[in-house]
Amino acid sequence: MMRRLLFFLAVAWVACSCTSIDCPVQTAVRTYYALQKSDQTTDTLKDTLYIASRVLKGKDTLLLDKAITLTTFSLPIGYANPEDTLCFRFRNGSYAATDTVWIKKENIPHFESVDCSATFFHRLTAVRCTHHAIDSITINSPTVDYDPQTIHFYLYLKSRH
Amino acid sequence: MILRPSISISISRVAISLMLLLACLTADAQKLFRLEKDSIPLMRGFQVSFDLFGAGQMMLGDYGQYEAALRLNLHDQWFPIVEVGYGKANHEEDPVTGIDYKTQAPYFRAGVDFNMLKKKHQANRIFAGFRYAYTSYKVDIWRKDFPDPVWKWNTGFGVRDEQCSQHWLEFVFGIDARVFGPFHLGWSVRYKRRLAHDEGNLDKTWYVPGYGTWDSSALGGTFNVIIDI
Repeated sequence: MMRRLLFFLAVAWVACSCTSIDCPVQTAVRTYYALQKSDQTTDTLKDTLYIASRVLKGKDTLLLDKAITLTTFSLPIGYANPEDTLCFRFRNGSYAATDTVWIKKENIPHFESVDCSATFFHRLTAVRCTHHAIDSITINSPTVDYDPQTIHFYLYLKSRH
Repeated sequence: MILRPSISISISRVAISLMLLLACLTADAQKLFRLEKDSIPLMRGFQVSFDLFGAGQMMLGDYGQYEAALRLNLHDQWFPIVEVGYGKANHEEDPVTGIDYKTQAPYFRAGVDFNMLKKKHQANRIFAGFRYAYTSYKVDIWRKDFPDPVWKWNTGFGVRDEQCSQHWLEFVFGIDARVFGPFHLGWSVRYKRRLAHDEGNLDKTWYVPGYGTWDSSALGGTFNVIIDI
């Protein structure tokens, strides 16, 4: 009896010594946009949309390329910038319009475990834009984390679109 | 801050569950928990013990704990126990993620063990029991600056002196056997359940003093040197 117990406890003790790594499978922290009409119904992108941002050393990087017939899309969000500046370019034949969107946010270091990569969650505090093709943009949900189901922004385009 | 429903609610649930369990005990079970009627006195002395497993973790790895316990022997059957320890983690620049993690703090546990052997007045014991435990600790987590993957600017990551605390329960199963004279050696396996935790502005911490690392395993263990006094 005592020998069996000792064996059982030794096995359990070895099991206690094991560790596992539980990093989330979904590790992308992105912002999600939904196009809406003024009557709060879903809108569809009719022009071709390019979205870029200015990065280190004055270079531009393309965040969304040749998007069309979309109702939703997602974009990355800066780890530590207090404000992201995005350039929305709309093209349709000879028509072209460019708007700038500024997104203010708080950046929150997010820690899972020493085995999981360092990342940031964010709290959106304000958004503003120019109004050439975009009518308005509003914050729907301010919390940006791993959740890919949450729509963070509603984008309202001017009626020609 | 994540404070699970409330410590008072969690403790109330446990207390009510225990009371219901006691109320439901059959006559046989009540007999099991009743003190044996014999000539052996109620007070059988004290035991002090030291955990070698946690100390080994501390020496061989980058986290662990030094822990000692004082256990009262009531009729070789019930053993109220207090465990105190000092847990420490110093994980420097993880080779994969580059994250540093530091914490050190005392902790305590209090509970009771029950000797499950039929013949209780012998040198060896098999016991089951539970502990309530608490620790209050501060953590430093940081990483060397790294570039934002899209914007490329260097980014600092870290928190300093984040105040955290945790309450938890442990269900214990173990044995101890007399080696010679007053010296015993013993093992215990523990199943841990968090009751409430507060990690300040963090969503999670990694090593919690006395609790161990926070991962999917809820099991822990000790290897004790025990001395009768």
